[in-house]
Parts: sequence; C-alpha cells; structure tokens
Amino acid sequence: MFGESDYSFTYDSEEVSIRIDPSDGFYQYVRKSGTEAITKVISGGSRKIVVNPVEPVNLPREVTRFLEIHFTPVAIEPDSGETVYVTFPVEIGIFLESKGDFDVLDIFTLSRPKYSLYGPPEEGVITRYHKSAVSGTIPKLDRLKEGVIALSITNASRNWVEVSRVVFDCSSFFLYYGDIVSVVARMNILSRDIADVRSEDRPLGEGMVPSILVNKARKTLIPDKIPFTMEFGVGD
Amino acid sequence: MVGLDTVVYGDVTVLDLIVFAISVVIIVIVARIIAIYLKRALSDRMEREELDKLVKVVQVIIVLIGVWFALPSFDIDVGQLLVVGGTVGLIVAFASQKIVSNLGSGIFLLIERPVKIGDTIRIGETSGTVNQIHILSTIVKTYEGIYVRIPNEEVFTSEITNYVANPARRFEYLVSIGYGDDTGRAVQVIRKLLEDHPFVLRNPAPSVFVSELGDSGVELTVYIWAPSRVWWSVRTELLQKIKEALDREGIEIPFPQRVVTMAEARRRTEPAGESDRHAGQ
Repeated sequence: MFGESDYSFTYDSEEVSIRIDPSDGFYQYVRKSGTEAITKVISGGSRKIVVNPVEPVNLPREVTRFLEIHFTPVAIEPDSGETVYVTFPVEIGIFLESKGDFDVLDIFTLSRPKYSLYGPPEEGVITRYHKSAVSGTIPKLDRLKEGVIALSITNASRNWVEVSRVVFDCSSFFLYYGDIVSVVARMNILSRDIADVRSEDRPLGEGMVPSILVNKARKTLIPDKIPFTMEFGVGD
Repeated sequence: MVGLDTVVYGDVTVLDLIVFAISVVIIVIVARIIAIYLKRALSDRMEREELDKLVKVVQVIIVLIGVWFALPSFDIDVGQLLVVGGTVGLIVAFASQKIVSNLGSGIFLLIERPVKIGDTIRIGETSGTVNQIHILSTIVKTYEGIYVRIPNEEVFTSEITNYVANPARRFEYLVSIGYGDDTGRAVQVIRKLLEDHPFVLRNPAPSVFVSELGDSGVELTVYIWAPSRVWWSVRTELLQKIKEALDREGIEIPFPQRVVTMAEARRRTEPAGESDRHAGQ
C-alpha cells in the first residue's frame, strides 16, 4: 500500500477500500472503512499520490501533537543505557503531489485511537495514548496498524530508574517505512521525573524510505529536532 | 484665506500637515497590505493567535517607522516634540481617564494572558469565544453569534472563567436506573462505552459509581475527563450513547414515581380487627 502511485491506485481489504475513479472531467477519491465513507473530488494535475504512515496524532480529530506510549516497566541502572523496541499506532496519510509540493488528501487508521493526559490537568499535555509490549528485538507487526520504535534509553541520573512511558512531540517526528514502519528515538533520563525525548532522522534498517509527514506537507514552521522534555515522570 | 503656506504652528504649514497626513495614510495602507500578505503566506504555517500577534507587531513597527520618517516634513525637533508630547499626553490622560484605564488594563491583560483568542470564556455576564484582544477592548462572540465588545477595564476587574485554559476538563452525568435493574451491569455498560470513546481520557480515568438511592431509582454518577478543545462535543455525544446502550440492555431510566396504598384496598386485604385499628388511627 505504501509508496508513490498514480491515480490508478486501488486498495481493497476487509477493513478498508480505496479507489480513485474518473468522474465528470475530474477524479473522485473514495475511501470506505467500517461505517465511514469519504468522497473527494480531485483535479487531473500531475495525477501522483503518495501513501505512507504519518504522525499518529490526527484522528479522529487533531487535538494534540503528543504521542504517549505506556509499556512494561524497564529498570535502568545509573549511568547506563538500554535499547528497547516498543510499538506505536499507525495512521496512514494519502497525499497529492505536484512539483515536490504535497497536500493532505486523507488520513485514516486501522487502529483505535485513545487519548490521555500526561501531567496534571492544569499544566499537562493531551496525548495520543498507546499501550505497548517491550521487546529486545524488532517485533513482527502488521505495518498498516502498528509501527516500531527503537528507543535508546540512557539513565544519566545517579539512581535506578523504572521507565514505563515515553512521550513524543510529533511535530518533530521522523518516520520511515519499508517492511515495517519505524522510528528511531532517544530518551535521556535526567531524574525519575525528567527526561528528554527526541526522534532521530534515520531509518531503522536499510532500504527504508522517509515518510511525507502531515506537518511537513502543511509547511508548519517548526524548528527541527527539538527534544521534548517529560517533566511529569517517566514511570506510572 | 488659508493657503498651503499658511503657518499653523511654529514653522509648520498647512502643506506640511497635508504631507504628513498623506504619509501616515500611505504608511497605514502599506502596513495593512503587508499584514494581508503575511496572513496569506503564514496562515497555514502558524497558530492563528501567534500569527495575529506577529501581524500586529509588524504593523505597529511599520507605522512607527513611517511616522518617524514623516515627521521631518514638519522640520520639528523630535526631542522638543517628546517634551511637548509628554505634557499633552498627561493632559489627555487626565481628560480621558477611562481610555487610559482601558489601555492600562489591556496591557496587563496581554502580560497576564488570562484569555487567548479562540478561548471559550465567561466574563461577567458574557459567555462566548474570544475573537480579538485589542489594546482597549476585548471582542467576544457569544454562543448565539452576537458581537460583544467589552472594555478591557471591565475584563480586567471582572471574574473571568476560562473553560479551556487547562488542557483537560471534567464533566459529569447523573443517570438514574430502576430499582429492579442490575446496577452492576449498568455500570459495566457505561464503562465499556467510555473505554471505547477516543476522547474520554485514559488518564485521569473516568469513574462510574452509585451515588444515591433516590426516590424513583438508583442514581449513578459518571465523571469523565476530556480534552478541553472537544469536551462539549464529547459531552453531547456520550449522553445519547449511554441512553441507547442502556436501552439495548433493557435497563430502564425510571420516571418519578410514588407508591400509593389505598385505604379501601388495605381493608380488603387485611383481617377485620387490623382494618379497624388502622381506621381508628
């Protein structure tokens, strides 16, 4: 499903069907998933579309830019590090492309969105919530539903720290896709309450392609590579 | 007869005034054009509130620079002007205390920022969405779509309720079910609905519990936290879903009811002596 295509693109599965048909001098994009059906009219133009995973914070409506992943607690000893693999929900973006310029045509997901609050109600942030298992190797996943984050955790504090959640600012997120959807990220724990989290602009494996992201397509003015500081704890 | 070379004040002639006025008009027009261009160029790349601030700052800077350059047409000593301007300003301030008060309040509002553009608020008796925050007044669009201009002094001194200042907010439902219904099942059905809804926050978790044994039914209280930006739509959507889910489970939401025992019926069902005793009471 992922990659560049022309308007002959179709996709059919039990969960979703997508097609673009000529209609009255234009083209008609139709997506059906579950009870939801989206129809949009698009112009002829360059007739190029790109389908790839995007930041998982757009559905059912954009209310935040933060993604929170809860996982089985991992105890990290002082001044040491560990790389773990956790999963994240995948949202799929369909973009129209013309001369290197992208426009978001549609975003959908085959996973069920759930939101949460990281921090107290008066100063925390709303997050897209995802519960994940932790593994030491890359897990086998359905790339249309879940992606994998290679999370390098460093404990720079003087104490043992139990980590069971990580929060990403998806406005500076880097996604790659191939056989799997992946993110490479770094979490630097400064204390039990504070950690810096950043996503790195590199693929998890060879042959993976960088995703066109919604933020980039909208040309939102966001400086690159800003780490998000988790200030309200890294554990439950 | 007033001519273009007629002196108005000091060396300032009518021509100077006209040149200055035209310059200011041109500067304001230029500032507006640049503002429109900035809005078009950045509208999809910045938050609306941030963009509005940026545009205003740019406009003010352009106008100030323009006025600064237009002033030499008066051939005025700027230092002297500042002294005169200060004195005039003091007089004007005394003469227009309300305006100055609104201006001061506006500055404090911009610093304290109790409300932002787009916030859902209540200021005194006015409820709605903040449309604009000017230096002298705040514009609120009420839920009925009515334009309300509130002087900043009033905003500053009134009690302000900002419904979306915090990222999340809680709301509650009271759901009454019949005494004959399975309370545990009703709680389970509601919990499942809350779990499935994307915007019912996982943390703080929602809670559903029996809060009162009422006259007509068992009262269940449901506490839900939702993102402030969507809480109202979640609130309206979920109540209907709860009603429909309880209906599907055959759980009744009771009408107010009262058990009435008729004396005649009681006499018929009780032994003779018992009925007489009740009658004598």
